[in-house]
Amino acid sequence: MIRVAKRKQPLRYQGAVATFSAVAIALVVGCVIFAALGVNPLTAYTAMGKGVLSSVDAFSEVLVKATPLIFTGLAVATAATMMLWNIGAEGQLVWGGIFAAGTALFLFPGLDGWLLIPLVLAASALGGVVWSLIPALLRAKLRVNEILTTLLLNYVAIIYMEHLFYGPWRDPAGYGFPGTAQIPEAAQLVRFAGTRISIGFPLALLCAVFLYYLLKKSIWGYQVQVIGKEQRAAHYAGFNVTGKILTVMALSGAFAGLAGMTEVCGIHYRLQTGLAVGYGYDGIIVAWLAGLNPLAVPFAAILLGALFVGGEQLQSVLGLPSSISLILEGALLFGLFAGQTLARYTLTFSSRSEVPS
Amino acid sequence: MSDPVISLRGLSKRFGPVWANREVDLDLFPGRVHALLGENGAGKSTLMSILAGRYGADKGTLMMHGQEVTFSSPAKALDHGIGMVYQRFMLIESMSVADNLALTVGKKYGRRGVDYEIRQTAEQYGLAVDPEKRIFELSMGERQRVEIIKLLMLDAEVLIFDEPTSVLTPPEVDALFVIIDRLRGEGKTIVLITHKLEEVLKLADDISIMRKGRLIISEPIDARQMSRQQLARLMVGRDVVLRVDKKEVALGETVLALDGFSGDSPSGGPSFNEVTFEIRKGEIFSIIGVAGNGQTGLVSAIAGLSRAGAGTITFDGTSYTAREWAMASAAEIAYVPEDRYQSGSIGSMSIAENFGLTRLQAYRSGLAGLLLDREKMAADGRRAIGEHNIKVESSEASAGSLSGGNLQKVILARELTRKAKLFIAEQPTQGLDISATEDIWQALLECREKAGVLLVTGDLKEVLSLSDRIGVIFNGRILEIIDAHDSDRVDRVGLLMAGVRS
Repeated sequence: MIRVAKRKQPLRYQGAVATFSAVAIALVVGCVIFAALGVNPLTAYTAMGKGVLSSVDAFSEVLVKATPLIFTGLAVATAATMMLWNIGAEGQLVWGGIFAAGTALFLFPGLDGWLLIPLVLAASALGGVVWSLIPALLRAKLRVNEILTTLLLNYVAIIYMEHLFYGPWRDPAGYGFPGTAQIPEAAQLVRFAGTRISIGFPLALLCAVFLYYLLKKSIWGYQVQVIGKEQRAAHYAGFNVTGKILTVMALSGAFAGLAGMTEVCGIHYRLQTGLAVGYGYDGIIVAWLAGLNPLAVPFAAILLGALFVGGEQLQSVLGLPSSISLILEGALLFGLFAGQTLARYTLTFSSRSEVPS
Repeated sequence: MSDPVISLRGLSKRFGPVWANREVDLDLFPGRVHALLGENGAGKSTLMSILAGRYGADKGTLMMHGQEVTFSSPAKALDHGIGMVYQRFMLIESMSVADNLALTVGKKYGRRGVDYEIRQTAEQYGLAVDPEKRIFELSMGERQRVEIIKLLMLDAEVLIFDEPTSVLTPPEVDALFVIIDRLRGEGKTIVLITHKLEEVLKLADDISIMRKGRLIISEPIDARQMSRQQLARLMVGRDVVLRVDKKEVALGETVLALDGFSGDSPSGGPSFNEVTFEIRKGEIFSIIGVAGNGQTGLVSAIAGLSRAGAGTITFDGTSYTAREWAMASAAEIAYVPEDRYQSGSIGSMSIAENFGLTRLQAYRSGLAGLLLDREKMAADGRRAIGEHNIKVESSEASAGSLSGGNLQKVILARELTRKAKLFIAEQPTQGLDISATEDIWQALLECREKAGVLLVTGDLKEVLSLSDRIGVIFNGRILEIIDAHDSDRVDRVGLLMAGVRS
């Protein structure tokens, strides 16, 4: 008899198995879809690959997309290390954007760049923190499920942002277009020559390294990992779980807030529609694709960024809907969970391995 | 006596390396209540789960009315008329009694017929229950009755009760006994899994006692000719005391004193009442009792992990109320918890990292003490591996890869390095082999030279080998505190564990 049993020891390279199977499954699903659309999958994948790698320009767009994804990926990974689900990176990103734009446009419009940029950075992080602390407090004090609160608060954040740029913050000289005025040049992030890559990208990489060392080398990080792995052990050790929920969610929100800042100050230069395009949700996939390892987050973000840029190529070259990349993204996530599940179980071919209940 | 309904012959069941049941022969007769006694982990539940179709046996045969049968699932066992009332009821709380029963017996009677049958069955066996009520509105006793009705509606001949009184209030227990008596009168075969002697003496016709997977009394014996004392002795066994190298240690100051300490178990388990004792440096004070007599909640409160309801606690010369103690519990107490896998260690972390669990303060370094000194952690891990003879290549191996004994040594080593004044060890050798057990015993004996040791266990042999003084806990109360050198009184520990005072 074939029996599926849980592994006593997790597979050694569980993360790698999961990531590999995720990519493999996504590729296979893609083949099916392309074939169904009457396109040779090989042609399609070649087009995607060319679109991403054919020029410096094309690849730079991948990094542009990867920048917010790294931040939101880190946001989700931070919370998930403690088994908290922050589905609200989207809303925290929006608040980061609002705080960044507000600081640059209304609080300190006249400051020099060297002073204004750090202020905008801090403000955007604070925006994310404020928004993430609402679900964090509800979870810590009243045990309200953070999955629901973080998710639902996204819609509140987006609607409030729209209220701002349709209403009080609308550019008076904008011919009625929805959006704030352009932020002062001093608040615009420096870009690398000829591309749209801003210093937000290296900042994101720095944050990944920072989070890695924070989790590995600090007392706080150790406690967070213990709580994430085994609540009962944390209770036995006397760790302050409530406090950690707050600090972890705050850090998570700060990362997401910074994503909003890099979008507002690095790409759009204003608050407008197009800020909330789902990077917060994509961050969930990035984080799990990276196996919650902060150092792997940038690579997962670049992979996903390439998928998006490649998907756009499908549209312009082959006339296929660019939303195919969304399907591939979904397939990645399913593949990931399939891989993780597979890695946790083993198949045995007898009936002797029953586990006592 | 008539022919047996059920005969088990040479039944064996293994979980991994452990034999839960070994060569068990058992006969069950109609119209009789058969009590199956034994300590926790003796293999009672496993044996009955095999009978009820939850597990398959590895060896041996199961005969019903002389015919060999095998059950691949509980449903198959039920088809043959064998049903079990589990400790955790298998009912859907948001649905009514009738709907719940319709789920299992609806096919037989049709949804309409179910209501009628419930009333019929309830009346026949005196099982008062309102079919329209939803499960969550019912008391535990009523829920249990629903389970019994379920089995009867399926024409069960053999009804197995797994610790049926553990969730009931005393009046509900009496009501259950009346029901069981009635079932017996109707010719049903009843199996009662229990470790409570009064129940056995009140109800049972036949008794089997299990110890370590074996039936130590392999033929049913007539309950009416046995006294509580005899039963208690048979159940606990007369274990040989292993000679351990126990040095004389001079008693030092009082480390811990409890006075009228009372409270509930954190997870809603049995409470403890008016517990009073003291522990001095240089001694091992043991609390022994059958599992589920309040010791879990007591230890948790002493360790400061949960708050006791009343009483005072004096630690290292300072007195605290129950409330103050829960707040002040940063006090240095070393504690080896019962659950070494989920509480005492983290399987996916390395041995070195597991040292951080309770010793984090010692590993603070750099940047205002915010950083973790991994070097020192690894050094402690390596030293523990050497000193305690832990079989593993390096301190970077994951704790989950260790055997139970080696893992327990890691936890013990970690707690010893805290150099606390009070050392609590809870079921420290449960499930360990002899050599690991001896190593841990030796470490506890050495530990008492520097600290007061509180040993909480259900293992009589362990208590007799290590203790200086023994407190027997029963029903949340310390019945007696006995000096380990007083051999006359020590003989009574087993009886006291079973609640026998005189």
